[in-house]
Amino acid sequence: MLETIVQAVINGLLIGGIYALVSIGVTLIFGVVKIVNFAQGEFVMVGMYITYFLATQFGLDPILSLVVSMPVLFVVGVLIQHTLIRRVLGLNDLPQIFLTFALSLLLMNLALMLLTANYRTVHTWYSDEALHFAGLYVPVAKLIAFILAMFLSGLLWVFLHATDLGKAMRAASQNREVAQLMGINPHRVFAVALGIALALAGAAGSLLMPFYPAYPLVGQVFVLMAFVAVVLGTLGNVIGALVASLLMGVAESFGIQFIGADSGLIVVFLMLLTMLAVRPGGLAGGRRR
Amino acid sequence: MKNEKRPKSYCPNRRTFLIKGGGALAAAAIASPPIISGAAETVNIGGLYPTTGSMAQIGVGCVAAAKLAVEMVNDAGGIKSLGGAKLNLIISDVQSDTTVTRTETDRLITSNKLSAIHGCYASALTLIASEVAERAKVPIITGSSSDQLNKGRTYTFTPFARASQFAQAQLQMSKLVSDKPKVAVIFENTAFGTATSNGLKELAPGEGVEIVMFEPYSAGFTDASPLINKVKASGANALFSVSYLNDLILIVRTVKQVGLNIAINGGSGGFVIPDFYKNVGKLAEGLQGVAHWNHDMSDYAQKANAEYKKRTGEFLFEYAGGLVAQTFMLADALERAASTDPVKVREALATLDVSKGYAAMAPGGRVKFGPDGKNVYGRPIGVQWQNGDLASVFPKEDARAPLLKT
Repeated sequence: MLETIVQAVINGLLIGGIYALVSIGVTLIFGVVKIVNFAQGEFVMVGMYITYFLATQFGLDPILSLVVSMPVLFVVGVLIQHTLIRRVLGLNDLPQIFLTFALSLLLMNLALMLLTANYRTVHTWYSDEALHFAGLYVPVAKLIAFILAMFLSGLLWVFLHATDLGKAMRAASQNREVAQLMGINPHRVFAVALGIALALAGAAGSLLMPFYPAYPLVGQVFVLMAFVAVVLGTLGNVIGALVASLLMGVAESFGIQFIGADSGLIVVFLMLLTMLAVRPGGLAGGRRR
Repeated sequence: MKNEKRPKSYCPNRRTFLIKGGGALAAAAIASPPIISGAAETVNIGGLYPTTGSMAQIGVGCVAAAKLAVEMVNDAGGIKSLGGAKLNLIISDVQSDTTVTRTETDRLITSNKLSAIHGCYASALTLIASEVAERAKVPIITGSSSDQLNKGRTYTFTPFARASQFAQAQLQMSKLVSDKPKVAVIFENTAFGTATSNGLKELAPGEGVEIVMFEPYSAGFTDASPLINKVKASGANALFSVSYLNDLILIVRTVKQVGLNIAINGGSGGFVIPDFYKNVGKLAEGLQGVAHWNHDMSDYAQKANAEYKKRTGEFLFEYAGGLVAQTFMLADALERAASTDPVKVREALATLDVSKGYAAMAPGGRVKFGPDGKNVYGRPIGVQWQNGDLASVFPKEDARAPLLKT
């Protein structure tokens, strides 16, 4: 029994790490630019396909392809901010919602058209391997993904707290007008935020590839968990999103293990509703970081 | 009904919108023009398949097979009793969505003079299309396996094995692998998953098979580990997974990671298509499944397979192969009806009795419908992945290769 519980925690944390990469991106964009990026899951999908093609065409290991997928998506993020999102900021919310929503639809259907609906997997030597000890197992590919996800989250935290640009980003997220009065160029800050958020989505894609198949609608599987994590962990709070993602992963795993395999999401959403009733501001109690 | 959507509907409004909006865009890109025939008279056959959305990949394969079958019938001289009339296939995309299936079936029937329909791959979709076709009095022929399709319907014909028969075959196969099979059944919570797994549960005691775990799961999960963790704890020595492709890929890979030594029977669905092997690779070797059709089971099947392979580069998979047979069954009925009137075609289908040619290309080799639209000779075929190909291994009379016990 203890073995089963510990295994359930391990499983939950490992998948929670992936949720975290997606949700941190969403919460960063929301916190800084004040828009909800519905297309975040589709950028994970783009990251997966980049990784897939690098692996099949050039034999590049999915984990190493991080050095391609992250910069590529960073640039895409900056371009999207400059050419699209900038135009709709300051208007009412509806154009902003539809902009990212349209992006999501566009990317999904472009992928369906150009890449077909086929599933694509990349096999690496560690794809199906696992570390076994004391009756427990830890899949190698997921462990690598988890460690790198935590490393990237930590790097982002250091960036936000120790660099001028990071501090400017936090300032813009706390109060845009005052930040502008202090000489912070919001558009530059926004572009970097978009870039970082998309780079994280790209990283999630690369890290998923050794153990999860890519297909055009794959983003939808992960983005919902990301949205829940963002609300649960307080909108705009990076650490909150991280903690919430890990908690959700574990809650989902326990739900499947001890209630029923079709109740993983029920547990997660019960968690969300309880949180909204008891602490509407989320885990961090409404503080944005 | 909500559960029948795949992948699971996370956020109903947005999801519905996505499917509709996205589907419309993709449909415009993929939709093919109807085949234009030179002959004066043509017979319109409707084909309803999900060519976009979560089941698109299989739907696209079905459409390729449907087109191939129509060409085969037309090249052989069309429907002779109608002066050599050619079949005209009108494809409609049901977008892997039950709501769209209802409206598309309606639209297809009202805007075309159809003699018959075939579709829709997934039982959840076929159940809807069949309801609409029944009301419009247009016969529908389908390879979908839900036993529900044989209840209270007069225009629905199912020439292949039913879900309950699949279950029996799976149970019998598990006894070939172990003397005392202890089976864990995991199934996606959809019409297809529940129908198939309930069959397993009901028949297990009669077959002397013990079910130690019986668990529905939400289709389209992010991680199979908790589920496999549960299978491990159940102490099962055989695993029946009733799943479509993406879940099954994760399940098979996770079983390997856990190091669980268990005989897997993947049933049908996503398990018996070429993509499964492409995605799972060597891990697929030795895995068993059941199908209502397999490409090596008869000379005709092998001929159809060769032609399909020439066009698509892949072997003719279960549902698509069955679809070629269905098209020839429709041609046989049209030939005898000597009419394009759907009601007359239905009557001819009801009296169909074939035991040779492409139309009889079903396990058992004979097709004759009972009053419930079920083929009275229908039976499933047990298959196993061997050297990257799907070999027929069960029952003895249909086997083309021995069952490997590894």
